[in-house]
Amino acid sequence: MTNHLIQAYRQAPWRVQLQWIGLFLLALVLVASVASIYLNVSASAAAAGREIQSLEYDKTVVEQSIADLETQLALLTSAAEMEKRAKSMGFQPPAPETVMYIVVPEYAGRQPVVMAPPPGPQVRAQQPLLRPSYTQSLLEWLFQGFISNPLSIQQVQP
Amino acid sequence: MKVPHFSRFIFLGIVFGVVGLAIVAQMVRIQSSSAADQLRAQSEMYQGEYRTVYPERGNIYDRWGHLLAGNETVYEIGVDLQMIGNRDADPEAIAATLASVLGTDYVTIRDAARRPYIEGQSVYAVLTDFVTPEKVDELLRIKKQYADQAANARRSKKPNPTLNALTFTPHLKRSYPEHTLASNVLGFFSYLDRDKGRGYFGVEEKYNDLLAGTPLKVYIPFDPNEAQDIPEVPPGSSLILTIDREIQTSVEKILDEALVSTGAEAGTIIVTDPKNGEILGMATTPRLDLNEYWKYAELFPNPTPYNRAVGTTYEPGSVFKVLTMASALDNGSVTPETPFLDTGVFEIGGAYVHNWDGGAWGPQDMVGCMQHSLNVCLAWVASQLGPTNFYNYLQTFGIGHTTGIDLAGEATYPIRLPGDGQWLEMDLGTNSFGQGIAVTPIQMVMAVSALANEGKMMAPHMLHAMVNNGRQYDTPPQVVGTPIKPETARTITQMLSRSLESESSDALIEGYRVAGKTGTAEIPTEYGYSSDLTNASFVGWGPIDNPRFLVYVWLERPRASIWGSVVAAPVFRDVVKSLVVLMDIPPDEIRQQLNGQ
Repeated sequence: MTNHLIQAYRQAPWRVQLQWIGLFLLALVLVASVASIYLNVSASAAAAGREIQSLEYDKTVVEQSIADLETQLALLTSAAEMEKRAKSMGFQPPAPETVMYIVVPEYAGRQPVVMAPPPGPQVRAQQPLLRPSYTQSLLEWLFQGFISNPLSIQQVQP
Repeated sequence: MKVPHFSRFIFLGIVFGVVGLAIVAQMVRIQSSSAADQLRAQSEMYQGEYRTVYPERGNIYDRWGHLLAGNETVYEIGVDLQMIGNRDADPEAIAATLASVLGTDYVTIRDAARRPYIEGQSVYAVLTDFVTPEKVDELLRIKKQYADQAANARRSKKPNPTLNALTFTPHLKRSYPEHTLASNVLGFFSYLDRDKGRGYFGVEEKYNDLLAGTPLKVYIPFDPNEAQDIPEVPPGSSLILTIDREIQTSVEKILDEALVSTGAEAGTIIVTDPKNGEILGMATTPRLDLNEYWKYAELFPNPTPYNRAVGTTYEPGSVFKVLTMASALDNGSVTPETPFLDTGVFEIGGAYVHNWDGGAWGPQDMVGCMQHSLNVCLAWVASQLGPTNFYNYLQTFGIGHTTGIDLAGEATYPIRLPGDGQWLEMDLGTNSFGQGIAVTPIQMVMAVSALANEGKMMAPHMLHAMVNNGRQYDTPPQVVGTPIKPETARTITQMLSRSLESESSDALIEGYRVAGKTGTAEIPTEYGYSSDLTNASFVGWGPIDNPRFLVYVWLERPRASIWGSVVAAPVFRDVVKSLVVLMDIPPDEIRQQLNGQ
């Protein structure tokens, strides 16, 4: 009788097999999900890194180009060049007796060039170009979030 | 129930287990072997590199923002030796192309391109450098032609040379868009030496460290997963000079014309604002095209100074009398009305002082002494002042010391002082009219700035401001000393203005009152002073009621006339005629009317 009862409540063998298969598949899906997420993040990080390398190069090229263009402009507007152009357009250097002076209220005269603001408090502290999330590993992130600063979790709780 | 074929499953499990273990064991063995260490060391070469990032050299501007020294893009042309080794490119074709486009030596280039490829050691060879973008465009066009021909040849299975191994790496080189303008002030940067290039002379040398910035060595990984935040390397500081490009152009032109018309061997003109010591223009000779700085030795054979205005001392002659007279007026030894009977000779320390013409000018006052530039009178004035006071004044005027101007290569000549063993009593007489004492033009400018600026002597300087890290730091004017009282400065200014007007000097400009003094100094030689070789000078400032400029002119060994009043005074006038227009200074009458409104 007892054996009969036990037998009545035991899982059917095919059910046990199904459960194992289900568990295995679940683990497989989890591993695959983690792997695909990891792959995706790694690929994104690599792509971002590659883009950074490319942008660094572009930045150098642009900086060189700016410096070069500024010099080219200075060559085109050099004193000798401007004098040549002015003469070709019929201008002549003025003699003191030919100059006419007029009063312009509030005009303080020509002031030397100002190329940048004067020294003062730094508005924005220098930030690293890459955020830590691009460089730190999952473990580092976890350690940073849960171990190195455990109070922060309690602090946000109501 | 026994699973069918159970033993087979067991067998397969053991086989796979053993194979797996063998693989793991092999992995561990490889990882820990000595070959693995070598491989790891080798792989580090491909993981990244340490690169020194040189900041862009700072620009130099004039006071209005005109670029005087900047940077332009040029290219280094090199060759990938691996491609040559793989026969992807032909050294002969590369050498021939570079020779035709750039004029380089065929054999040198061919031999450089034929260097054997050694992995990790010899992978790249520089063929030439500082190639302009136009030439690079031409080379790229030829390279493409070769590539097209090679592609066609491949289809017909014929070998054809290519230039594929050529690489073009852009970088910046120093450039001076104004060529020779202000070259003696700017100095130059030896850009051909890419590793050890530095500034020479002038501002480029004085501010080399600021302009160069701080190079940074950084590790750059090749693995994009490890792309790191390459630290920002700020460019070198840019400098804004006090120089006014238009004034500089004008004074250089006037100086060049003066050298031709007077036959002088060399010349110098300095224009400053006496109220703050800013140098507005500084012209001297010879001038170098800074884009071809390697011609320096050719243009400046020893011992030619690079900038005579700061690097050459000379006996200034009668322009020095303004300091003697200012000292005596300040001390109270004389007043403008003090009478003096000029007998044509004055004995001091056993030596006899004579006038420039050897004559006696009879009764004079101090204005007359300055007007006729009487050596006898000024020697007497110095004797009234006494040696202690005279030399104390000279030292407070900065004579015998460098001015500290921010240009490389400033010179000075020590003055002999009473009690130092070399000084003789007669020196007091000769020094009073600017002989037996040596100064640089910039020392004279600084000393005389006290006369034009209510007694306050301003430090001469070139730097108006520095731009660093996005901020502009202005240079405040500095008072170096107050050698004379404001009343003395006004008195000497009036005296010198009246004396110029009385002698109808060639220095006068219609509509503007200026003060000034000529100078003619004999040049000491190994046989004594030579009377037919002189240094002709003029120092003047104006408008006298509100001085805006101070001009110093020095012509060396003029041939047209030996006298400063004949050759240097007209140069001063020409400079002032240009300055009043460029600096928007109305004639005195109009200015006073405007001020009265």
